Amino acid sequence: MGRLFWKFFLMYWAATLVVVAAVGTTAWLVQAADEHAFERSIEGGPRATFVVTATAATLSRGGLPALRELLADWDRVGDAPVLVVGAGGRDVRGRFVPAPALARARALATTTPGRSGARLVTQSDKTSYVVFLPAEERGLLARISRPSPPSPMIPISVTLLTSLVFGALIAWYVARPIKVLRAAFERLSRGDLDARVAPLIGGRRDEVADLGRDFDGMAMRIQALLGAQRSLLHDVSHELRSPLARLQAAIGLARQNPLKTEASLERIGAAAQRVDELVAQLLTLSRLEATVTDRAYDRLERVDLVDLLASIAEDAHFEAQAFGKAVAVSADGEVVAEVRGESLHRAFENVVRNAVRFTAAGTTVDVSARPAADGLAFLVSIEDRGPGVPEEELPSIFEPFYRGAGEGRSPGFGLGLAITKRAIEAHGGTVTAANRSGGGLRIDIVVPRQGPQGTRDGGSGVVGGARAPRGPALPA
Amino acid sequence: MTRVLLVDDDVELSGLLREYLQQEGFDATAVHDGESGVAEALSGAYAIVVLDVMLPRLTGVDALRRIRARSRVPVLMLTARGDDVDRIVGLELGADDYVPKPCTPRELVARLRAILRRVELTAADANAAPIAAGPLTMWPERRRAEWTGRALELTSTEFNLLAALARRAGRVVTKAELSEAGLGRPLARFDRSIDVHISSLRQKIGPLPGGRSFIQTVRGQGYQFIVE
Repeated sequence: MGRLFWKFFLMYWAATLVVVAAVGTTAWLVQAADEHAFERSIEGGPRATFVVTATAATLSRGGLPALRELLADWDRVGDAPVLVVGAGGRDVRGRFVPAPALARARALATTTPGRSGARLVTQSDKTSYVVFLPAEERGLLARISRPSPPSPMIPISVTLLTSLVFGALIAWYVARPIKVLRAAFERLSRGDLDARVAPLIGGRRDEVADLGRDFDGMAMRIQALLGAQRSLLHDVSHELRSPLARLQAAIGLARQNPLKTEASLERIGAAAQRVDELVAQLLTLSRLEATVTDRAYDRLERVDLVDLLASIAEDAHFEAQAFGKAVAVSADGEVVAEVRGESLHRAFENVVRNAVRFTAAGTTVDVSARPAADGLAFLVSIEDRGPGVPEEELPSIFEPFYRGAGEGRSPGFGLGLAITKRAIEAHGGTVTAANRSGGGLRIDIVVPRQGPQGTRDGGSGVVGGARAPRGPALPA
Repeated sequence: MTRVLLVDDDVELSGLLREYLQQEGFDATAVHDGESGVAEALSGAYAIVVLDVMLPRLTGVDALRRIRARSRVPVLMLTARGDDVDRIVGLELGADDYVPKPCTPRELVARLRAILRRVELTAADANAAPIAAGPLTMWPERRRAEWTGRALELTSTEFNLLAALARRAGRVVTKAELSEAGLGRPLARFDRSIDVHISSLRQKIGPLPGGRSFIQTVRGQGYQFIVE
């Protein structure tokens, strides 16, 4: 049992003690006040008046002996235990006399003799008696005569014992999930990313359980981020493999045959160029990741997005003509927004170039750019007439180093669309891909007009590792 | 000229290596995907196959599995540096050796020669008498091995290792000696290749009637072929 358990347990128990004490005191006070009230009152009404008058008459005529006889008679009947109080406040038969009731009886007997349930009888020997019927005589007397009430220790100890059990239960109920959470945090901090608490918390629904679920969410996200980072690192090292192997082979050739040195140097240069391109693209990706913190990289500027896209498409068309391909733009309207111009330019350009690369010779890439009907977003669609992408691979094409397979395999690094996704998401937009019914790929981009978001939290596709090059360097 | 088949999807690298190998006296042919790699390797025209594990579509490991299903042509795997899984899987599937990529072409050629030398050495053993050890009989000149009359399907590396053990049956053969005899190269630190080959040998032959393996591990020393 941890400290938290004991704290909860003791606090609960202390609270129970206070409650028991308060309830006890209140009960005692109420009972005392009750008794007081009983004792104050005397019986009124015709019956009481009759009993009291009869008693008083017997006393004044027959004296104490007659009175005792009468009282004894009434005892037998079991009714009307009238009190006859003499000097010194003592009942003639020595019964308990509630003092406040006596005082009231005295007062009533002097002020309204004959009409109330109290009467003053003065004997010939000048001794005077007050005769009256105390209220709820029987109840009162019963109480006076019954054995002392059971000890309050029994209910008190039962209450305390019960509270011990409940206190322990409550403390356990609160402390246990926290202990579970702590253990999970410890596992996580030791690097065990599989640490989860949900199975241990079960179907519980409260703030502590929510905390547990939040922990699971966090652990999952960290795991995904680290996984993405690891796979990125893995991909980068694999990607570096081929230019490095070419470098080694070219160097080997040059050593083997000095006549080939010139040709080898050219190849070495090409391989180095490729390594350079890879590093540059990785840096772009990592800067997009860091856009929020690194604002100096790409300033916000007012850009007409329709115009931007039209110019990209025109440039692409110019280059595509050399391969017997074309790019057709249908752009209307105007969407002026505050955006990071350079990163958006790169994002659109990557998609358009990709489409030009894959569209079949002699076909046209269709680019459409227009404001959304409500004017709050900018919609772009880019369609090619190439081989498309197998349905099951569609979600992967925005992942870094995705490059398809077979003859259509892209000669690049597969970072272009990943860069696009990062850039669009940094602007709070979305990018999706679908196969056209007539063959080819269609990419839809939506950019909200309000421009870049304050956060890039929306990025679910995760390129966590893109920061790697900024960090402690890639493995050699 | 020794014919070498290069299976690597990097067209440019294949070109460079082919040029290098030609200069070293090999006749190299390059193909760029697993499917045609398997087809070429099974054609029987090549003395040795160099297979990259990272191939599009049919991976190098799958290609190797298909080649081994039909042929015992020596195979040298090109594996990613630091990727132990590919390497061990490759050796288990019957690759004769591996070279981490990127490697210098000189290293590649040295490995190729080592494997080929072993094959030629055993082939040159033509006049050598058959090796007999317990239920095992081996005919080095025909590269044929039988276990109680049942023919064993062994890769050239496995054959060489088994022959090295059987020749000295009952005695301990160190891993270093096995590496020289089986892989044609000195034992490298942390190299588990020998252990992988031995374990596939054990699997191919099965346990002795007592449940023990016929190749015993002598911890810290090497392996021992048991004769009853």
